[in-house]
Amino acid sequence: MLAKFLLFMPESVYLAMGLVLFFVCLPRQAQPRNAFRWAVGFALLGIVAALFGLFREGFLFFEAYQVDLFSQIFKLILAVTVLLVLFLCRELPDLERHYRREFFLFLASCTLGLMLMVSAVELMTLYLALELSSFSLYILVPLRKGDGIDVEAGIKYLFIGVTASCVMLFGFSYIFGAAHTTDIRELMMRLPALLQQPAAVIGLLLFLAGFFFKLAVFPFHFWAPDVYEGAANQVVAYIATASKAAAIALLIRITALSHGQSPYLFKVLIALCVASMFLGNLSAIAQKSLKRMLAYSAIAHAGYVLMGILTMTAVGYSSAVFYTAAYMLMTFAVFMVIVLIAGDGHNPQIAELAGLHKRAPLLALTLMMALFSLAGIPPTVGFVGKFLVFAAAMQQGYFWLVVVGMVNATISLYYYLMVIKAAYLLEPAVEQPMIRLSPAVRLLNYILILAIIDLGVFPQHILWLAESSVKNMLGGI
Amino acid sequence: MTGFPILSAIMLAPGVGMLLILFLPHDNQKAVKWISLASAAVSLMLTLYLYIQYDRVVGGFQFKEEILWVKTWGIYYFLGVDGINLPLVLLTSIVFFTGIWTMWDLTKRVKEFFALMLLMVLGVYGVFMSLDLFFLFVFYDVSLFPMYPLIAIWGSTRKEYGALKLTLYLLAGSALIVPGMLYLYFQSGINTFNMVLLANHGFTPQVQSIGFFLFLFGFGVLAGLWPFHTWSPVGHVAAPTAVSMIHAGVLMKLGAYGILRVGMYLCPHGLVEWAPLFSTLATIGIVYGAFVGLAQTDLKYVIGYSSVSHMGLVSLGLSTMTIGGINGAVFQMFAHGIMTALLFSSVGHVYDRTHTKLIPELGGMAKVMPRASFFFILAALAGIGVPCLASFWAELLVFINSVKVYPVLGTFAVLGLVVSALFMLRVVQKTFYGEKNERHAHAPDMGWAMTVPRAILAGTIVLFGFFPRLMLDVINVGVMPLVEMIK
Repeated sequence: MLAKFLLFMPESVYLAMGLVLFFVCLPRQAQPRNAFRWAVGFALLGIVAALFGLFREGFLFFEAYQVDLFSQIFKLILAVTVLLVLFLCRELPDLERHYRREFFLFLASCTLGLMLMVSAVELMTLYLALELSSFSLYILVPLRKGDGIDVEAGIKYLFIGVTASCVMLFGFSYIFGAAHTTDIRELMMRLPALLQQPAAVIGLLLFLAGFFFKLAVFPFHFWAPDVYEGAANQVVAYIATASKAAAIALLIRITALSHGQSPYLFKVLIALCVASMFLGNLSAIAQKSLKRMLAYSAIAHAGYVLMGILTMTAVGYSSAVFYTAAYMLMTFAVFMVIVLIAGDGHNPQIAELAGLHKRAPLLALTLMMALFSLAGIPPTVGFVGKFLVFAAAMQQGYFWLVVVGMVNATISLYYYLMVIKAAYLLEPAVEQPMIRLSPAVRLLNYILILAIIDLGVFPQHILWLAESSVKNMLGGI
Repeated sequence: MTGFPILSAIMLAPGVGMLLILFLPHDNQKAVKWISLASAAVSLMLTLYLYIQYDRVVGGFQFKEEILWVKTWGIYYFLGVDGINLPLVLLTSIVFFTGIWTMWDLTKRVKEFFALMLLMVLGVYGVFMSLDLFFLFVFYDVSLFPMYPLIAIWGSTRKEYGALKLTLYLLAGSALIVPGMLYLYFQSGINTFNMVLLANHGFTPQVQSIGFFLFLFGFGVLAGLWPFHTWSPVGHVAAPTAVSMIHAGVLMKLGAYGILRVGMYLCPHGLVEWAPLFSTLATIGIVYGAFVGLAQTDLKYVIGYSSVSHMGLVSLGLSTMTIGGINGAVFQMFAHGIMTALLFSSVGHVYDRTHTKLIPELGGMAKVMPRASFFFILAALAGIGVPCLASFWAELLVFINSVKVYPVLGTFAVLGLVVSALFMLRVVQKTFYGEKNERHAHAPDMGWAMTVPRAILAGTIVLFGFFPRLMLDVINVGVMPLVEMIK
């Protein structure tokens, strides 16, 4: 019994976090600061639990729930991301004051959903976990103070999300009809034989739609720019990192079901990958708002991740896992800069960055490193990520896909450079005050810069974790 | 790997300098400059030692340092020098040292400038020394991306446009290099990025042909290969003096070196196949650069286009596939690097003092600034190929061999050189002699302290002009095995 409980440690922490925050939210006159303290405490505990559970393995809940290295690594990524995002939530200036406590509550429930999702090996469980996280986000997005763009974003997110869910359930029914099981391990054995039937392939593809939505892969990307623009900066930081990590984990798990046996699946994935990259990068060029630009660049990055996944090899999956970790790190760094620049929680424009190198040299440096990393310039972690993904594709002989990927990386460099140019070269029209950074934030900045470079120069350890987790997943399901 | 890791020391000296600078307070400009100069001096001293110690009889890769970096991918931290990259390391050290010294009077955002400059040089050393394909590429990009801020912040004339164009062009080149290196990696099937192992393993002719094509254009962008050269004059003109020096003097050589080390070394057969295209583009570059240079009125544009022309010579030399031609090409990389650095360094002084680099606004500068003029004219003569200056031997070797191998193209190339001699002399005549422009009559000449870096460059040109074997012997032991492979 105890052993089973130990397996469920990380999730229990976030469950407890949700419960405690629920009670914190009940009194009429409580301080949001209280909720913040509770949340940080639990998030720290969550990291400890995730580290503690990293190498545990086992099954729970009538074998519907599997704890293995693959799921545990994603849980660790999630736990770290939640703590990082909480770092930015000390003040929540752009949320209505009486909603600020609820923000932490839904953050907890969403994280719980994501964690359940990466471990679920039964399609029904998986679906429930996905919905738990999605519904939390549907609430988080329109929490923002303001003139209605938040509500518009929230509704868009809800509609597209629900549509994706329907598509997913529809695909689920096909899979069940073809294979007569909802257990992923059994599917793994039965599906390859069934992939000659169109129903199974279509089912699998439609089932993937739910995760395409979360990851903002073309053609489920329409919510991304509006939600990034409409939701509060902290919420977007969370959506852009944690929620995508879990989606990538599931994409890998579900795609692995096909054993690379289906040329149709592969063709569709390749088309989505190329379309996402071009659409994201080309649209990002035209953006004036920093968050909108990041939304489009996120679509492009979803394309790069997909490139690793569509190779359907262990090398490809582990490159996607590495890319996820790298992407979390650099995206968070950019959002941290956004939150700190927009002290009152507005949406910063790119032009607003002018003179940042004087107002806050450290932030400008962090921003530059993170953007170079996103663009895939060595020696940053983003370069290693891109390199691994491209290498995986090349190994399967997708020469042109790699060329397309590199062309896209070059295009993306243009708009990242525009942001760096604003931060380092342009002088502001009106003199702006210096941005004061607390010692904790300074430390976080140093850690992020160091991590971006360090993991770029010494990627061995993360790479090893990614590789063994994928091996574990392919063998274990 | 035995003893003192001298190559790592040369490469990391600028890195250590950069870290020290980053932790200095903003207002301490003197310390920033001294640290930069000191790290450049360390690199230069070690390089001179290296150059003397290199065994010219044994040849091959020496001073090797090899550490397994990422086991699953077969990535090695693998440094080594042979006759081909040793002269280029020497070139980097000299230009780096004199470049830092030339920028002594900088006052704008000093800390950032020198930090970026040191980072860039670290990357350049890395490219020249790395014998591992993965690391070579990493260093290649490290050396390129500081160019953007360096030009965009401290540059002049259309600096943002120049910086952006340069960065995008060069990184677009990477878009071909990455597929190329991954392609070779997986085709070899021996799971290593170690170039020595890859070269010994060999590839089928078809693989070599595709690989060489990718590297030719990937690196060719940086080498200023026509028609991908257009970033180069614009970038040179926009860049501040020391950056122009390093950029034209060293960075463009990275491209040619990439073609040589990665393209020709790994895919010798590919060179044979693509040599007609390669030599044609090179010759067009020589002639085109010379004619466009003829029409320029901005001193820096003149030098920029002469660089296109001279880098065309390097490419032409490489494409001859003969020992003499490649010897000449490598020697030309070195000689042209030093010579261009001296040209930009002199023009930089003229521009700082007169605030113009337009030829019609200058004139009679030889009387106003005798020292600056002397250096410019010396470098210009070297570019033309006057005997007893380093470029003479290099250009001679390239011409003899190219006329032998490609009679028609070779002849055009020689004609191109005549035109470039014409425009260089015209510039010298109009800028430094002729009517004196009274506006600049009292512009001060170089101080003695600022003469030293230029004198070092000038001395190098003369030294290797009188004793070309000091360098050719080294180059020759590196080139011979390569030509064996091509045959």
